Amino acid sequence: MIDISNKREIKFLKEKGISRIMHVPDQQILDRHKGLEYYKDILYQCGKCGTCRTAYHEDGWPRICPSGEFGKFEAYYLGGKNLLTWGLKSDHLKWTENLAKIFYQCSVCLACTQQCQIPEIHHYAGEWLMAMREEAVKQGLGPMPEQKKYSEHVIKEFNPYMEIHKNRTNWISSNIKQAPDAKLVYFVGCTTSYREQNVAIATAEILNSLNVDFRILTDEHCCGSPIYMTGQTDKAKEIAEGNIELFRSQGIEKIITSCAGCYRMLKETYPKKFGLDHGIEVLHLPEFLQEKVNNNEIKFNNSLDMKITYHDPCHIGRHMGIYEPPREVLKNLPGIELVEMERNRQNAWCCGSGGGVRSAFKDLSSFAAHERIEEAKETGARALVSCCPFCLNQFKTNNKDEIQAIDLSELVRKAL
Amino acid sequence: MNNNVVIHELENIVGEKYVSDEPEIQFLYHYDFITAEPEGKCDIAIMPETAEEVQAIVKVANKHKIPIVPWVSGINFGSIATPRKGGIVVDLRRMNRVLEVNEDDMYAVMEGGTTWADLKGYLDKHHPNFRAGVTFSPPGTGVVPSCLCYGMFDLGMIGGTGAEFLNGLEVVLGTGELIRAGSCSISKKWYGRQPLPDLAGLFIGWEGTTGVVTKAAVKLWPKLPYRADIMVLAPTVDQGVPLLLKLSKAGLGIVDIIFLNMGWCQAIQGFDEKSVAKDPVELGLPDFVGLVTTQAYTENQHKAQCNAINNICNEFNLSPQTAENFLKSFPEDMRGVFLDIFPGFGGYNPVQAWGCWNFTRGGGGEWIGSYCSTRDIAKYYNIAREITLKYDKPPQFYSRIMFGGHYCVARANINFDKNDPEDIKKTRTILKEIFDAVHKLDGVVMYKPPLWVVEHHKSKTLPATTELIKKIKKLLDPNNIMNPGQGIEGD
Repeated sequence: MIDISNKREIKFLKEKGISRIMHVPDQQILDRHKGLEYYKDILYQCGKCGTCRTAYHEDGWPRICPSGEFGKFEAYYLGGKNLLTWGLKSDHLKWTENLAKIFYQCSVCLACTQQCQIPEIHHYAGEWLMAMREEAVKQGLGPMPEQKKYSEHVIKEFNPYMEIHKNRTNWISSNIKQAPDAKLVYFVGCTTSYREQNVAIATAEILNSLNVDFRILTDEHCCGSPIYMTGQTDKAKEIAEGNIELFRSQGIEKIITSCAGCYRMLKETYPKKFGLDHGIEVLHLPEFLQEKVNNNEIKFNNSLDMKITYHDPCHIGRHMGIYEPPREVLKNLPGIELVEMERNRQNAWCCGSGGGVRSAFKDLSSFAAHERIEEAKETGARALVSCCPFCLNQFKTNNKDEIQAIDLSELVRKAL
Repeated sequence: MNNNVVIHELENIVGEKYVSDEPEIQFLYHYDFITAEPEGKCDIAIMPETAEEVQAIVKVANKHKIPIVPWVSGINFGSIATPRKGGIVVDLRRMNRVLEVNEDDMYAVMEGGTTWADLKGYLDKHHPNFRAGVTFSPPGTGVVPSCLCYGMFDLGMIGGTGAEFLNGLEVVLGTGELIRAGSCSISKKWYGRQPLPDLAGLFIGWEGTTGVVTKAAVKLWPKLPYRADIMVLAPTVDQGVPLLLKLSKAGLGIVDIIFLNMGWCQAIQGFDEKSVAKDPVELGLPDFVGLVTTQAYTENQHKAQCNAINNICNEFNLSPQTAENFLKSFPEDMRGVFLDIFPGFGGYNPVQAWGCWNFTRGGGGEWIGSYCSTRDIAKYYNIAREITLKYDKPPQFYSRIMFGGHYCVARANINFDKNDPEDIKKTRTILKEIFDAVHKLDGVVMYKPPLWVVEHHKSKTLPATTELIKKIKKLLDPNNIMNPGQGIEGD
């Protein structure tokens, strides 16, 4: 039986005269993290109206879906995917390689769902987009070959970067002070450990300068996000179970992340999807820092004299609702002028690296990154700042020195 | 049809990425996923980027005698672009640029695949002192098809139907030739269809059966500094309509006059049909919700106009209030749904309040929408209301008085559950019954007619008119490849 809500929550954006419908009367309250069968009656409510393509809350009514803008056919937009899913469930379509590919050619950034005016689709479309990937895996049609390759490496060497596990903590220098018995762990993540070590160093040095007792796990493994996001739920759950066992054995009570993907996995996916309630408080670095700023526990000594723009990583933004803490931290840095891109917060344009896209659909990934870099340049900012090393690495890889790509942690360290 | 041969020729035109016969791609073009009309069949979908590519596609289609069905942006709102005879769906979504805005003569030239979001976004950014008339359609739908199908815009009182907003067209005929209609055919200016022979009429109301429109110019209007959106409630439609008719003839800077019945208002607010009164009138709720928009250049003019509107309302014992005041009586979180409708509050249509299509939580909706005489609005409503209630469905109705009161649109909506075959069947029955009943009123002509309505139109048309339509169609599309089985000529 489906619960019905009497809640009404429609946020009227005064300056724009547009409503963002979050809840309407008689909206169905559904469970999350269910399979396709559970959501099948919602799918058909989609009329393929195309609203999901456009961030109509913003001036300029910009396009919002990287998968759709790249693939162009309706199948690559949410409306198309809703009805393809319905087509599958109603026996109009069968599973094919192409159908699987359509669903994988998407970073699951969920920008589309923000625009949808049907509350059930607005809230739950992300669930069936993931459920389709799980089904594709069960059908033997997923993950994509490139994703399979890195997944196998995660199982073997606990990272998707084809790196050796024992080199994971090579970035740690003797300057970084750890408290061996600390209950707070800095969970570094694979991207930070192997590709954006500046972020790891900056984060650790920030914690040191704030006299925070913390440690880094000597045997940290991948959080499982690259596996989970490609529909390999069982494997991801096994990784999660291993990680939680490690956390428990080490008496961990609090985790700080610098990767948005790790944050989302540890905070939300582990307990809510996998049912593994670890009881550990998980904070993303900007949340942690915002608390320090609000309590006047942090002193910034250097003026940065910089105009920056902030990119909302999908996995902390739309997926977890964290939009303001990074901005609050950045605004408190001396000499920083923060300007917004046209597409920001719920309507941020995805960098194109998540959801397995970067490995399996390089052209789409590159297209999305360039689009975002161009948007950042249009603000006149000197730097494009994010708080996710995957976004950061994506921008750096696709950036022809047009704008500096930098992590929030690096700016904070400079300001300290 | 040998798909492989045709696909290969089409790939040579647009590149491999933009043509497909994969079942997943085809599926989304089989029909509109909204109405109760039957499915069609898309064999190949293609997305050209230029008029020249469209020409080449049409030539390939002629060579192989394959139907061509133009779509904009993957949406077929109302089933008239459902490919009834298979063939190639030409999706113009890559042709979505606004090419020029002329502020002196107030028009925008755009490609055939421009959506309302594209146009509105462009104007907001680059020409903020001007606006287009916009519809209630979703932002992803096309501007040009809306004009070609006599869409209703929120400047309807001064501009008429969407067709009257068109200044000129560039069209690829069913033969593959490219023509222009209007001042643009002999100059770089797109200010109007006059004073040349009005060839645009060969493509307006023909539902893609005579050519593919690759460019169009649409009139723009200045945003005047003073504006009021006025709401008037009345217990019944019979009591409210005469007021609107008088206002429509009064001038008073009125740019838009519409009304909704309470049933449609409930749908827009996102309610589930099952949880609200089937007939709100039984509960004593007003059934007539009128919206009148007036604008002015000066404050004095604005005050005088608003006073005059107020006085006319009082003559009918009705009390108008501004939309802003009216909506203050709503819970704050519910205001947004209605306020989407009012440009005066900083926002605009098009933002499809999709709740109005999801009233039955089944995503289905279809309508009997017609142009008719203004004297018949209330009769039309009462007929539709009686039939709808007979089948235990909530009456939903909308009417817009247009072009200085010269004509109007009247539309009865039915929502249904697309997953429920019985509900679909019932919907078809209701629609047919409403259609048969309202078409007994002289002058009622359905817009965007599905096939079964086209046959009715043909039966009423003078034989010479029908012959002329056939001749024109044959001339422009000798191989009958342009959206066959649809449109003015029917099957």
